[in-house]
Amino acid sequence: MLAAGYYPGCSLEATARDYAESVAGAAQALDLRLVEIPDWNCCGATAGHSLDHRIAVNLGARNLALAAGLPRPLVVPCALCFNRLKTAQADLRSEVDLVIPEIARLGQDYQRVEVVELNTYLTTPEMIDRARKRRVHDLSGLRPVCYYGCQGQRPPQVTDRPDFENPQGLDRLLKALGAEVLDWQFKTDCCGASHTFPRPDILFRLVGRLYEQALAVGANCLVTGCQMCQANLDMYQKEIARELGRQVYLPVFYFTELLGLALAHPRAGRWLRRHMVDPTGLLAGTGLPREVWA
Amino acid sequence: MKKSDAPIVGPARSGAVMVVGAGIGGMQSALDLADAGFLVHLVERDISIGGVMAQLDKTFPTNDCSTCMLSPKLLEVAANPNIRIHSRTEVLDLQGRPGDFKVRVRQAPRFIDPAVCSGCGDCVSVCPVELPANFNEGLDRRKAIYRHFPQAVPSAYAIDKSGPSPCKTACPAGVSAQGYVALIAQGRFREALAVVRRDNPLPAVCGRVCTHPCESQCRRGLVDEPVAIRDLKKFIADWEMEIGDLARPDVKPRREEKVAVVGSGPAGLTAAYYLALEGFRPTVFEALPAAGGMLRTGIPDYRLPPKILDYEIDYIRAVGVDIRLNTPIGPNLSLSDLRGQGFQAVFLAVGAHHGRSLNVEGQDLAGVRSGVTFLRDAALVRLECPGERIAVIGGGNVAVDAARTARRSGSREVTILYRRTRREMPAYEEEIEEALEEGIRIEFLAAPKRLIAREGRVTGVELLRMELGEPDRSGRRRPRPVPGSEYVLPVDGVVNAIGQTPELDFLTPGDGLEIASGDRLDADPLTLQTRVPWIFAGGDAVTGPADVVQAIAAGKTAAESIRRWIEGEDLGAGRNERPAPAEGDATGAVPAPRHRPPSAAAETRIGNFDEVVGRFDPETAKAEAARCLACGICSECYQCLEVCRAGAIRHDAAPRELDIPVGAVILAPGFRPFDARLKPEYGYGRLPNVITSLEFERLNSASGPTGGRLQRLSDGREPEKIAWIQCVGSRDPAAGRDYCSYVCCMSATKQAVIAQEHAPGLTAAIFYMDIRAQGKGFDRYYERARARPGLRYVRSMISRVIEDPATHDLEIQYYDESDRWIVENFDLVVLSVGLAPHPEAQALAQALGVDTDRFGFAARTGLNPLTTSRPGVFACGVFQAPRDIPDTVIQAGGAAAEAAALLAEARGTAVTIPEIPEERDTRGEPPRIGVFVCHCGVNIGGVVDVPAVADYARGLPHVVYTQACLFTCSTDTQAGLMDAIREHRLNRVVVASCSPRTHEPLFQETLRQAGLNPYLFEMANIRDQCSWVHADQPAAATNKSRDLVRMAVARAARLEPVHRFPAPVEQSALVIGGGLAGLTAALSLADQGFFTYMVEKTGRLGGLADRLRRNLEGLDVRAYLDDLREKVRQNDRIEVHLNTELQETSGRVGWFTSRLDENGREIEIHHGAAILATGASEYQPEEYFFGQDDRVLTQLTLHELLSGPNDPLAGVRDVVMIQCVGSREADHPYCSRICCAQAVSNARSIKELRPDIDVTVLFRDMRTYALKELSYRQVRELGVRFIRFEPDQAPEVTPESDGLTIRVFDHTLGEEILLRADRLVLSAAVRPHPDARALASRLKLPLDADGFFMEAHLKLRPVDFVSAGFFLAGAAHGPKFLEESIAQAKAAAARAAIILSRRELTAGGEVAIVDQEHCVACLTCVRTCPFGVPRIDENHFAYIDPAACQGCGSCAAACPRRAIQIGHHTDEQIMSKLAVI
Repeated sequence: MLAAGYYPGCSLEATARDYAESVAGAAQALDLRLVEIPDWNCCGATAGHSLDHRIAVNLGARNLALAAGLPRPLVVPCALCFNRLKTAQADLRSEVDLVIPEIARLGQDYQRVEVVELNTYLTTPEMIDRARKRRVHDLSGLRPVCYYGCQGQRPPQVTDRPDFENPQGLDRLLKALGAEVLDWQFKTDCCGASHTFPRPDILFRLVGRLYEQALAVGANCLVTGCQMCQANLDMYQKEIARELGRQVYLPVFYFTELLGLALAHPRAGRWLRRHMVDPTGLLAGTGLPREVWA
Repeated sequence: MKKSDAPIVGPARSGAVMVVGAGIGGMQSALDLADAGFLVHLVERDISIGGVMAQLDKTFPTNDCSTCMLSPKLLEVAANPNIRIHSRTEVLDLQGRPGDFKVRVRQAPRFIDPAVCSGCGDCVSVCPVELPANFNEGLDRRKAIYRHFPQAVPSAYAIDKSGPSPCKTACPAGVSAQGYVALIAQGRFREALAVVRRDNPLPAVCGRVCTHPCESQCRRGLVDEPVAIRDLKKFIADWEMEIGDLARPDVKPRREEKVAVVGSGPAGLTAAYYLALEGFRPTVFEALPAAGGMLRTGIPDYRLPPKILDYEIDYIRAVGVDIRLNTPIGPNLSLSDLRGQGFQAVFLAVGAHHGRSLNVEGQDLAGVRSGVTFLRDAALVRLECPGERIAVIGGGNVAVDAARTARRSGSREVTILYRRTRREMPAYEEEIEEALEEGIRIEFLAAPKRLIAREGRVTGVELLRMELGEPDRSGRRRPRPVPGSEYVLPVDGVVNAIGQTPELDFLTPGDGLEIASGDRLDADPLTLQTRVPWIFAGGDAVTGPADVVQAIAAGKTAAESIRRWIEGEDLGAGRNERPAPAEGDATGAVPAPRHRPPSAAAETRIGNFDEVVGRFDPETAKAEAARCLACGICSECYQCLEVCRAGAIRHDAAPRELDIPVGAVILAPGFRPFDARLKPEYGYGRLPNVITSLEFERLNSASGPTGGRLQRLSDGREPEKIAWIQCVGSRDPAAGRDYCSYVCCMSATKQAVIAQEHAPGLTAAIFYMDIRAQGKGFDRYYERARARPGLRYVRSMISRVIEDPATHDLEIQYYDESDRWIVENFDLVVLSVGLAPHPEAQALAQALGVDTDRFGFAARTGLNPLTTSRPGVFACGVFQAPRDIPDTVIQAGGAAAEAAALLAEARGTAVTIPEIPEERDTRGEPPRIGVFVCHCGVNIGGVVDVPAVADYARGLPHVVYTQACLFTCSTDTQAGLMDAIREHRLNRVVVASCSPRTHEPLFQETLRQAGLNPYLFEMANIRDQCSWVHADQPAAATNKSRDLVRMAVARAARLEPVHRFPAPVEQSALVIGGGLAGLTAALSLADQGFFTYMVEKTGRLGGLADRLRRNLEGLDVRAYLDDLREKVRQNDRIEVHLNTELQETSGRVGWFTSRLDENGREIEIHHGAAILATGASEYQPEEYFFGQDDRVLTQLTLHELLSGPNDPLAGVRDVVMIQCVGSREADHPYCSRICCAQAVSNARSIKELRPDIDVTVLFRDMRTYALKELSYRQVRELGVRFIRFEPDQAPEVTPESDGLTIRVFDHTLGEEILLRADRLVLSAAVRPHPDARALASRLKLPLDADGFFMEAHLKLRPVDFVSAGFFLAGAAHGPKFLEESIAQAKAAAARAAIILSRRELTAGGEVAIVDQEHCVACLTCVRTCPFGVPRIDENHFAYIDPAACQGCGSCAAACPRRAIQIGHHTDEQIMSKLAVI
């Protein structure tokens, strides 16, 4: 059994529980052990890093120090956490003196762990091969566009992504699982992120464009690996469709959910029930047996 | 000491120079050097010369066709006897010292001998391999055998190979699998089969039973599954059988020697076949009643039907192989007997037909038989069922074959017993699969311990369970018994198939052969020769049981050895070489599953012996073959060999390394466009309608993939709306390219203009940051383009391109000039990709020990841009920094001058004098005219009916020969032309093609080579005058072509030979002007060994450069200039005349006389060439209170003050600079080129001295081109502000007591702002030198519209004047930076040296001749001649010095008495043309 370190982050314990469950399920189906960082703390996204650089570095330092003893790499399902941990790691190369003694005491080998985003980890050629071999059901009938969002990609000097303009990992994985993945140019366009409440107009415009482009290439669903993106794309579909003046029916999957479906995880159907856009209408029209998703 | 000044240690030993890179720069260097007496090795990586310029469609700012300019240059290089072109060559190492280097180069083969190739192109049509055409930037495909374009030099074709394909290398018989697969993909089945038979005479057999090692190495397997190579082979073999049309191989003439082959298995048959093809008389002795060996007796019919084998054996018999059945070798016919019967050699291929015994208790019981015997009996005698329930012992093919045969014979339960696991089982995978399908059981890890019997008959097998232990020598894990695991399998029959050995009983001691361990014959593995020299042995008899294709390989080896043995050649020579296979490239391969032939269902097939596996239908075969990735590129299908009439193809050519001695090296490796994939936001490579600027050139080019029809790649539609995005990979630190690429602004402008000219109504937008139109004539061109309707320039950098997936239209979003957010759709987006140093230039620089900068450009070593960090190695062109064609040509000439100066003493030591055949005397012959009508590809042929014109010409008076040619100027056609002249005894030649301006010299040279006087030649320009101007009226254009040909023929009939004569050369030069350019030119000439007069009007050398201290790059100009002046003063070969004016120059090229006025004293000098370097001046502005307010000054004055002793910045808080004062305005519509950098340089100096001073630059476009961009970025980082203004909203200046107020409209803010300044610095224009106009009229040299001196040709002759012998350098030619003047001065010196290096020139020819009988000395000619040549001689008649006459014809036209005729253009000749209209 393969094992890796795991940093779930806060939202997977609350709003994105569906994501958390599908991550656990996909890992199980792939025979992977994700070892959670003991007593992990806030990654410092949103408020932390924008208010106090010192706090941001220390939050990251603590998580990294605690992860040093875990199996490698350190896998992070949340794009924001990933970005924060990577940034902290980069900062700690030159600003290690910002670390307060209480945290420094935990160990200072901050560069030891390799921080990778879950969707990178699960889309290496070896992992795709692993998934292909364990595939039970074919995802044909699903015509997804993959949506990677921003925080996992940019800035490339922090994320170390060579293909930050046109990431391919999820595309490859889902193709291997039999989905008819479609190419589009909006893989990393902004989903509106945290503007949901203060400026819904911005969110509506940005997400509306994503819908239109997805429909234009002939997609029937969206697949993402970030719970912020998933929420923004999923939550206001009806309202945005009304503003666009057209029918939009685009279920928004976590890629881990599709892994669960293809690898016949017994609980995969349940994860989907938390989505605002009910995907069962779409899934009923695919080759997937009803018992897998119902 | 600067490296460039490093002394040369020792003399120049070599008069040769290597020029690396044969683009326009390398070609120019090569020509300048070769014409001046040096041997040039022109090294090029590609298969032909011409570089990127050959790919361009048109050039700016004249819109001239690039190919039309370049082609004559290519031919000039090709024809120059002192230039050796080394194509496909790379430089590995440089040893030695300047003047005496040794360059190690590696020459990759073209696989076509250029000396033999006629350029006919027949090979291209048969080549089955296609790949992206790199010359067309991958927009279309070309063959693996190719040349880039029809006018390519060398004109020979070449083949791309990346090594033998992995499948071919894997095949023991070396069959070119990629070759026949490629042919099958094209439906050329017959040719494909011939490819197999070259190396394997048993295609139908191997198509069924080969172990196909080729497929296991097939790189397609890395993508999905290997190509079904074996099934394809079977398909073509069966296809032939079906159509019944046998292709017979070529058999060499019969010869007497007889060879015996013992055994008619695959090894024996193969050996006999290839011996027969060599003309020998092979006889095959077979012991059994049927031929085929194991193929017949060992392989069951359901795998290899007997009729297939019969067919192949008949084929082999048909080439002359005698097979004697039932003729065993043994006591009755020994090997010695064969020798006695006259057989010169024997090949023993007796196979391994003896079943090995089991060595267990009960092995001889009834019901136990050997697998070989069982199968043999089934094949030859009759099929017997070995029992109801049988066990087959063994895991090889014989075991599986026996099991399946038993199943078909009626055995109900068949169990194969194998002591290891399936993984180790040697039988073929597919056989095992099929056996299992047929209900055969395999018991793994089971070994017989003994056979159990009842009544002497076997009833069971006692088995031991095995487990796998350590690997044995074969690498397989050794089975070992599990103690106490015995169990019994009840059976009523056992077939023992644990292996075979050869039967060698036939040998007699007298044969002298030894038997090796395992009862095998011993033979040399390389040659198959045994201890007895005339006996050879191979196949299973030597190797032990192996497969068919190995036996075939042995047969081939034996045949070759026996041939060598009989012919007395070395048996081993060259046979051990197996080149490493090609890697193959699977990128971009779209997964497509392997096709499978149909096969019979298991339940039906066990009832019979019908063939199990079916075969492809032709369409499936083609589709399967198309899966091949063409790893070797060339498939080695040898089709080209079949069609090449010249016999030029050398598939086995090998690369070679050689050392070339040279005295100097010039690096001109050029550039590649920036890889637009590195800016993924523009979608290049993903979106079909986003293309690069170079792709745009190819799409527009007549020789391009669309024949010049601009179209979208997504749907072939002609675009109506195009966007250009500038600075893709330029001025972009994020892309690692922070420099400006110089050419893209102009190139995009040109492309937009051309696109509009091609498609009226087309609209275009160019998105840019600054338009950099700093070259000569560029700004005019840009302003004209801007004024075009439908062509917009939008100052906005574009962040992304979005495609509409349905229409493939492209969306661009931007803020326009009025700050509005615009979303706009375009049909096509062209990315103006920057110039990056050629990727291979980096390796080249490393090999030569030349430093490069962080971008890969040659590191600069000082003001002289031509030197590199290694003395004796010079650089030019884009390898030095981004630049355009004229600047490259200038630098190329400069580099040539550097090399020539270094090697001055060795000039002429390495060159060869061209041999010109003796001229045929045609006097008295009636005209015999040959007419050649050119298609010029589609340039003419696309409009004019060329064959019809040629037909028409045939009927004209005196015409005895006509021909229509695709490209008359191509080297092969030239050779054909010479043949035609000789064969048909032509004494006049007419070519109807393009412009005599570019091509007449070429054709005249061809006539000369054919022994005809070159003036017996006439051209009709049916391209420019017919196909181009009447493109939409083909019929009329054809008629007009007929008219022009008729006129040309009429004149040709009246042509007479014209002879030229030698005119002496005064081998010294005059340099006019003592500024930086003049000093540099003079010193370069002196260094090259020529005496030089320098004339300077003032009392001091240095010119404008004397006022400069440092340049933009921070180099010390003063020190450089001081050093230069000193060197000039010290040089014995330079005579400086200060305070001197040139009064008058007369004479001709090679022999000028000039009168000088030196402080009132008149001096007369003689010189062979003159370089004009009179410089320019700074405009003294009338704007902005200059001259009225002393706080207003020019950049040059500020520069002087900044480097002067007093602090010019005392009390200064604000400095404002205004650009383009006196430039780019209605009366002076040119860019002064240097002022932007001057402003940046001065701004930086201010910031360095006093960082607190605010510096603001008011500009229109910042033109800090090429690497100067780095300084522009730097001063912005230093805090210098840049505010753009429009010319119609020019800054307004108000002088006030405490400073100046400048009011300017800021376009970024969209409002007017007020600036104050303590100093207002004006970037004043560069103006022509005030004396230029007077000097121009005195020397009869032309000026351009701006008053600068005008070169002969904007692109390709930037330092020549039209008047021969005069050259041009420095700011007299146009505004320039110091390093540019230096390069041009050296280039001028190189051009002048071409004249000065000769003792004599040839003169005369097309010049004026005065008929003194008719001359009345009216002086008309004297007054008319623009060159001042005619004079009235002592006999009072006009005399025109033929050596001075330029042949312009003005005098002849003006002469009222018609006393003057121009040679080759006589009145009679002209009138004859008119008479036939």
